[in-house]
Amino acid sequence: MRFQAKRCGVQFSPPSIILIYQQLDTNKVRKRIIPVRNFSKYSDYNMAAERLKNHPRHKDYLENVSQGQLEKLHIILRDHLQGFSLEHSLASFHLDTDEDLNKLGDDELARKKGQMDELFEKNRKHKDDPDFVYDLEVDFSKPTAERCSWDEESEDDF
Amino acid sequence: MAGDVGSIPELDQQKYDSDQQVKIICLGDSAVGKSKLIERFLLDEYRPQQLSTYALTLYKHVADVGNKTVAVDFWDTAGQERFQSMHPSYYHKAHACIMVFDVQRKITYKNLANWYKELREYRPEIPCCVVANKIDADLKVTQRSFNFGKKQGLPFYFVSAADGTNVVKMFRDMIKRAVDYKQNPSDFMDEVLQELESFQLEKMEENAEAEDEEQKSDQILSLQ
Repeated sequence: MRFQAKRCGVQFSPPSIILIYQQLDTNKVRKRIIPVRNFSKYSDYNMAAERLKNHPRHKDYLENVSQGQLEKLHIILRDHLQGFSLEHSLASFHLDTDEDLNKLGDDELARKKGQMDELFEKNRKHKDDPDFVYDLEVDFSKPTAERCSWDEESEDDF
Repeated sequence: MAGDVGSIPELDQQKYDSDQQVKIICLGDSAVGKSKLIERFLLDEYRPQQLSTYALTLYKHVADVGNKTVAVDFWDTAGQERFQSMHPSYYHKAHACIMVFDVQRKITYKNLANWYKELREYRPEIPCCVVANKIDADLKVTQRSFNFGKKQGLPFYFVSAADGTNVVKMFRDMIKRAVDYKQNPSDFMDEVLQELESFQLEKMEENAEAEDEEQKSDQILSLQ
């Protein structure tokens, strides 16, 4: 890896993905502006992010920027093209742990799942990792487990 | 829809009557990590079949249980849970059920009661377990006890699809219990209930058809 991504963001005009990265051989920090082409308010953010991640000219720079992050930036850009404010977009990613996600539509659910995926990817052990254990067992049984507050105020049938 | 499902080869549920086949279903709210758990267990082995028309994903697996080789089908929802209820064919002939909630979202734990109630309407006797997923987000949750499973006499697992904790153990246990359940001939009540179930389904279909007929004649009448 020759480039270490530091930050990755989006710019509305002209539509582009901005990457701040460190060049590892010289330790210099640089900014790369990647124009987003052929992307309209009807475009598929999923495909656009995948295309960018595999783009021959940019993929080396984007190696440690997750697909999820690129999707998120494309969603923000698409929201902007549809006339939504940045505040609206950012609020839509916010995960309210009390919200019933069963009630959301496909697009809204994808935004929340994207947020959860960030944590999943962060904690994920890949099967190629040196310390990967397929059959990882941990015994959590404790005689003195504290009662979970989620069980209070329960109805009788629960 | 029940008739349609039968005509798709992947969904031919007759096969689950054979000794070497078990069907294990997953239940739980949207985004609790049901698919990710199955994918962690199967790793590269998985090639899911998306049956989007039925909001359903099937994962096939071959397991060795004792000295037998068993083909396991894992049934996973693909958004169907958003209707707060599953189609009866999802439960039909299932031999075990894995119920999942997200330790970060209380509502997914509370909703287990609804899922369990629906499960028992269709499958009163099959083995079932409660799975607390995403413990990697905050390991402290493993010091708490979640009583829903205990109250129902169900085994409970703290797992993480991300780092793999207890995922393989849980699936192996459940496959074994599914096979045991199937081999247990004393479970007479279940067979009777199954018979009754299909009998009632047939009846319902007949009624539905009769209603259709009535509606059609109503339409004809109103046209005249």
